[in-house]
Amino acid sequence: MIELTRSRQTAAAPKIKFLGLGGAGCTMLDQVLRDGGDGIALNTDAQALSASSAQTRVPLGTAATRGLGAGGDPDAGYAAAEESADAIRAALDDAQLVFLCAGLGGGTGSGAAPLVAHLARKAGAIVVAFVTLPFGFEGKRRGEQAAVALGQLEQQADLVVCFENDRMSEAEGAEENIQQAFFSADQIVSQSIRAIAEMAQRSSLIGIGLDDLASVLRRQEARCLFGYGESEGSNRAHAALEQALSSPLMRRGEMLAESHAVLVQIAGGVGLTLREVSQCMEDFNRYVSDRALVHFGVSTDAALGERLSISILSSTGQPIAKAAPTQRPALTRCVEVEAEDLVPETLDAPQVQPARPAPRPAPVYAKIPVPRKEEKAEQMALEPASRGRFDKGEPTIVNGEDLDVPTFLRKSARGK
Amino acid sequence: MAKDHIVVGLEIGTSKICVVVGELKRDGSVQILGVGEAPARGVRKGEIVDIETCGKCVREAVADAEEKSDVMIKNVYLGITGAHIQSFNNRGSFTLPDEREKIDGEDHARVQEAARTAPIPAQNMFIHTILQHYYVDGQDGVLNPVGMFGKKLEADFHIVHGVANRIKNSIQCLCDLDIEIEDIIFCPYAAAQAVLDQSQKNIGALMVDIGGGTTDYVLYTGAAVKQSGCIGVGGDHITNDLSLGLHLPMGKAELLKIKEGSCELGGSLPGETVSLKDEHGFAGKEVEREMLNTIIHMRVRETFELLKRELDKAHYLRYVGAGMVLTGGSSQLRGIRELAEEVLQIPVHLCQAQNVSGVTSAFENPQYSTAIGLAKYAQATFDEDSGGLLDWFKGWFR
Repeated sequence: MIELTRSRQTAAAPKIKFLGLGGAGCTMLDQVLRDGGDGIALNTDAQALSASSAQTRVPLGTAATRGLGAGGDPDAGYAAAEESADAIRAALDDAQLVFLCAGLGGGTGSGAAPLVAHLARKAGAIVVAFVTLPFGFEGKRRGEQAAVALGQLEQQADLVVCFENDRMSEAEGAEENIQQAFFSADQIVSQSIRAIAEMAQRSSLIGIGLDDLASVLRRQEARCLFGYGESEGSNRAHAALEQALSSPLMRRGEMLAESHAVLVQIAGGVGLTLREVSQCMEDFNRYVSDRALVHFGVSTDAALGERLSISILSSTGQPIAKAAPTQRPALTRCVEVEAEDLVPETLDAPQVQPARPAPRPAPVYAKIPVPRKEEKAEQMALEPASRGRFDKGEPTIVNGEDLDVPTFLRKSARGK
Repeated sequence: MAKDHIVVGLEIGTSKICVVVGELKRDGSVQILGVGEAPARGVRKGEIVDIETCGKCVREAVADAEEKSDVMIKNVYLGITGAHIQSFNNRGSFTLPDEREKIDGEDHARVQEAARTAPIPAQNMFIHTILQHYYVDGQDGVLNPVGMFGKKLEADFHIVHGVANRIKNSIQCLCDLDIEIEDIIFCPYAAAQAVLDQSQKNIGALMVDIGGGTTDYVLYTGAAVKQSGCIGVGGDHITNDLSLGLHLPMGKAELLKIKEGSCELGGSLPGETVSLKDEHGFAGKEVEREMLNTIIHMRVRETFELLKRELDKAHYLRYVGAGMVLTGGSSQLRGIRELAEEVLQIPVHLCQAQNVSGVTSAFENPQYSTAIGLAKYAQATFDEDSGGLLDWFKGWFR
């Protein structure tokens, strides 16, 4: 747990590094680094690596793959990472919190991610992995490779946040051009990374720690729900929440009703008022079930100025049983604790090697149930006064505008 | 009574439920025998929000139509709409097995099946798969491939799909009535059958039906549907805006919109007012005409702008030779034609149902375009299905 402010041992924010692994991981990393941060790009493909905007670039397996990429083979990806283990360790330096981004299903991402996570943990960092699962149309083989890698990664990383490309593309609409679709999928992932990183960095009034994160995200067959909204102006609390809920992974808040634990982080400039926070949470609570556990954090950051941002993070699926074998003994540890104490010493790199050609487990992603909730007939109106007869109906939202609110009110009529 | 084939179109609209009983004439026209109507309750923006109430209204409308047309209604063509309905174009292809070299009638179904493999959200169902063009071995412009020699048959389709549960709700409304549903049709597609003639479809036309709760559109070029959709804004929104903006009850606002409203700006004298008479429960009110028109103007302009934005996603608007055809209840609003021309930059015509005869008051009113269109759609499918007179009768005595 990042208990730095609460434990009062040190006031400094933890040292965070962002790792992008493989082609997809590096693309995600580029997105994350647009807002600054300390990034390390790791790739077997030298050409792709040179295009990365990360400060540190580590070519993997220069001898094994000769900089040509892993060719979709996780074994090659693993071998490459193993070869470059020292370079990875050096690049990790003494990071305390590592965000690892990778696209599973291919060679580098699937093969190397568990090993990199392992190395980072051994180096004493807390590892939060953000992974995407391949599209269904990429074929069964890639799906299986991704599922195997996900299983291994769950054992190595402290926390795995999993995004399904299939679902993100469904949310984005198949109509969008492919570049846009991939871009927005990457953006969702990078926003969630930044949001979690900021939760750890910002000075919190009500803090959210990695223990909270873990309790929200550690689920069986978890699907990550993430929404981020940012707004300014007099109605910023409402607007930001609306925006967060309209995130493609949220399906207008419908998905929230199914989740058991939700994490909400509200951040604002110094002008953030208690009223706004309570207003926000009151609205928000309508979307979650009464029995859901809501972890809630508030932080202020002068850099936000007049803006207010809300990050919502949740996942579907059942909580993992305490006795589950994949469960790590302790997720909630202080940064100060020696990481080695918790990593079983027997877990040496070669043992991480996937036991191929042992029978692969059925792909996790294929088993994930797709809960199709009945469309809600009614949704809470946020501004009851201005919608008239459409008050109780489902709002018609086009380009972020509620069309049921009179046009002249939205555009402040010239005739008035 | 010797009657030719009877078809019934039923539209569950936001403001009214409309049942049109038509008789198919052999010359391809539809004679309207009667129109039944009932004000709709439990419908918002084209979608059903209260099945029970809506079911009662449907019953009323059907009874009304039966009485007026002297026909027992057994089968209907049901029109559906709502902002959940989406559409896209997709191509299906089918390669003939080696032993065959001639395309037969069943291959069309196979191509259609292939086009339907396009991904749609799991909760959605297909409503239409409308044929656009055939290609045989890459040869363009094939009208009917059956009997042609070829190895590969391809076809472009316009696919319309919507949320299954919402469509089921519409069907549920008819369940208690002992009426069979022949087919489900996306409303603008039906309305287009009524208001556009073949030449307009050939040279390209945009049909926009502004109804009570939704604005539906369908765009034709080269006799094929290229774009269609639904925007969840309609006449109800104008009324609602007036009610909120001028502090009037909904009923009064609706009346004011119909009697005095206009989308035209600057058409009134400064300070000109419209007075609403006082009556029981209403204190009377003076409304500034410019204010009234501004509120209407802004809403209608925005609706057209949304429509333009939707249409601009593809490039077909440039190929609309016959311009835009405006129909639906809200197309009766003053000045709407000029406003549509200004926003969309194409010629706009106001139109009602074409090529029908019978109850004049029905087809001359743009409000009935969709329901009449449903009957016309029935006629079109009928023509397709039946080759000769024998089939015709078989269909009738089925």
